[in-house]
Amino acid sequence: MESNFYLIGVGGQGVIKLGQIIADYGLKKGEKVKFFKEVGMAQRGGPVHCEVRIGNIFGSRIPPLSSDIIVVMELSEGLKSLEFIKPGGTVILNRKRIYPIDMMAHPEKYPQDGEIIRLFKEAKAKIIWIDAGRIALEAGLPIAENIVLLGALSFISSFDEESVINMLRKHIPRELDKNIAAFRAGYETAEGMDK
Amino acid sequence: MKKLLTGNEAVAEGVIESGVEVVCGYPGTPSTEVILTLLSQKEELGIHIEWSTNEKVAFEIASGVAWAGKRALVTMKMSGVNVAADSLASVAYSGCTGGLVVFVADDPGVSAGMPEEDSRYYAKSMVVPMLDLASQQECLDYVKLAFEISEKIGGPVFLRSTTDISHVASDVEIGKKLKLEKREAHFERDIAKYTKAGAAWCMAQHQDALNRLAEASKISDSYVTESGIKVNETQFEDGSKLGVIYAGAVEGSFKEALKKYNLKLSWLKIGMVHPLPEERIKKFLEKVDRVLVLEELDPLVEAEVMKIAYLLNKKVKILGKFDKTLSLIGNYSFKKIKNALEVLLKTKLESGQDPKILERAKELEVKRPTSFCIGCPHRGTYFALNKAIKNLKYKKDEIIVTGDIGCTILGMSKPFESCWTEVAMGASIGLAQGFKWAGIEKPVIATIGDSTFFHAGIPPLINAVYQKVPLTIIILDNGWTAMTGFEENPGTVNLNGVTNTKRVDIVEICQGCGIEDIQIIDPYQSKKATENIIKAIEYPGVSVIVSRRECALQAKRKKIRLPQRKVNIDKCTGCRICLSSLACPAMVFHPKDANNKAYMEITSACFGCGLCEFTCPFGAIEVIKDGK
Repeated sequence: MESNFYLIGVGGQGVIKLGQIIADYGLKKGEKVKFFKEVGMAQRGGPVHCEVRIGNIFGSRIPPLSSDIIVVMELSEGLKSLEFIKPGGTVILNRKRIYPIDMMAHPEKYPQDGEIIRLFKEAKAKIIWIDAGRIALEAGLPIAENIVLLGALSFISSFDEESVINMLRKHIPRELDKNIAAFRAGYETAEGMDK
Repeated sequence: MKKLLTGNEAVAEGVIESGVEVVCGYPGTPSTEVILTLLSQKEELGIHIEWSTNEKVAFEIASGVAWAGKRALVTMKMSGVNVAADSLASVAYSGCTGGLVVFVADDPGVSAGMPEEDSRYYAKSMVVPMLDLASQQECLDYVKLAFEISEKIGGPVFLRSTTDISHVASDVEIGKKLKLEKREAHFERDIAKYTKAGAAWCMAQHQDALNRLAEASKISDSYVTESGIKVNETQFEDGSKLGVIYAGAVEGSFKEALKKYNLKLSWLKIGMVHPLPEERIKKFLEKVDRVLVLEELDPLVEAEVMKIAYLLNKKVKILGKFDKTLSLIGNYSFKKIKNALEVLLKTKLESGQDPKILERAKELEVKRPTSFCIGCPHRGTYFALNKAIKNLKYKKDEIIVTGDIGCTILGMSKPFESCWTEVAMGASIGLAQGFKWAGIEKPVIATIGDSTFFHAGIPPLINAVYQKVPLTIIILDNGWTAMTGFEENPGTVNLNGVTNTKRVDIVEICQGCGIEDIQIIDPYQSKKATENIIKAIEYPGVSVIVSRRECALQAKRKKIRLPQRKVNIDKCTGCRICLSSLACPAMVFHPKDANNKAYMEITSACFGCGLCEFTCPFGAIEVIKDGK
């Protein structure tokens, strides 16, 4: 297995937790792992991104055009990841906008969903458009958007479900049942789109 | 056994495996997590671990430990070496008996705002050997090696990391714990070694330090670590006249490029960057005629390679920073390294993403200005300060506010835009005095956080008192070294109330330094705080305001709950004055809806600082009582 995962969003969405689970999954599968995280001013509403590289690859950062999967937790942040998507790779776009304070009164300044999708299409990415917020809410745990996306990512990457659930047990012991429900719902959503 | 560890966590593991008895340091990105990791296991480890008041103090403590024959590690970011440098230079001449390792993390690419200083120059100027980390495994292995070298040569050793090593996690093979024989603390009086009285002694010490360097070079050059890493390593490619010499964090991407593009070239890895393995470099240069030097920040290795090529009297084309193949600025991404390799190979390896896509994405990008956290007491302080300046009939751009390092500097950003400068730990207070002596007649105000004040704010405060410089110093005391991840400092009130440390009170320090006008304010009580700041600014001498409120994130962890606020939608006009005055992340603005009504919302993330109440001209912000 040799895979690159690029995960991006803003502070508080659980981007790093998502990366930790994927990295630990790779380690448990006996693979070499690199896990880079850029947190910066995340506590203060800033952008957050992390990269997980699994397999016999050396650098800590994903080279351009080399991400097999990109998970965009906040739509506009996804624009920063276009450089890294592998042609034919998959981008999981979470239908979520978080306006910075100075944009709240002018939501029309925020980029159109259609334009973000168009750019990823031009970059030859397969697109999974998912409303993780709604799915997480239905699973009874609105905060578990990242786990819904983990589900979708696990389907696309053919992760072994039981091992991922063991990772959930280890990394998020609280509200485990709801997290598993969120994971399954994400998995099934991606599976449904594949048909 | 393999574990997923960041570079800093791997350093901590190395410390545990090396029999170190004392670890100290001062927090600073990207070095902080070494001590944080060790502190979380303090009880089991049974060793002394502390956050010292500053890097110089930390280094001196570690030196005392090493002079008593035991092993000590001291950690800091590159800016911290500047602070510790005075003592470092001196101890480096004296040497030590127990192992003394200085872990310093540089920050190419600036993950936390500060100069992109290259700490490797300190190794040169202080005559101290330096190991440069190239992988997370090395973080563990080289701690052990650094202590081994330190004790063999009898002098301190630098262990240098960078952000892309310290903050990246990787699978790291955990080693065996070293079984050191029990050591009794013992210090032999030897004033020719441990004092600097007299030229003869100092020059003899200088010679000793140089001898230690040579010995360190000898030990490291052929050294192979437990997990099989060679500190310095040469690989010749038959039939190729091209070569790469590299050091530090560039290793991963360089090796990846070799594999990805199936490149055939010779390479030389340098793990000890001071002193450099001159013989090895010489042998390498004899076999190549085009060399690329890969190292982040300054061309330290490159300059030496040039020197060696010159002495060798061989014409070798050396590519790097001097010929502008590579930049002096920022960390080296895969792309930068690939581009440099293209120059070396004189051929294109791969093109990246369609520039049109990237250009468009850049245009659409949403800027996310950083603001204070929800409930941050600093928001209240700067809000009150700006109000005070306004009430005194000054314009904001007339009053110089010198800022300092840490969360408090966010007062430079919107919406407050109070701070004008950020220099170094404690520098706000010295700078402010300079502005006064230069003849700035209007009030000058210095703002500084609690930990920064303890670190380096006290000497300039004493100076201001002694020289009778009229200025106002606002100490924003949130009780924590918050920016780097909530480390304790001498002013921290311990979480459980049980502690083996004694809290030092900032107000008492100021009194002891001769400050006659000290006021304590609560930044959440905006009206009163503004009045007090006005009084302080009007005071003719040195006045101090201690703005005291615990960091809201820490207070939240302690389950402190204050009454939250809500917006009375009937009264709210949607004017957004609250939002534009405070930029509180708990606020959401709803533009005109179907009923043609725009309004603010305060979400459940509200901490209850209550500042928004002071901003609303319509009294639309109310306290939530009994959940309503």
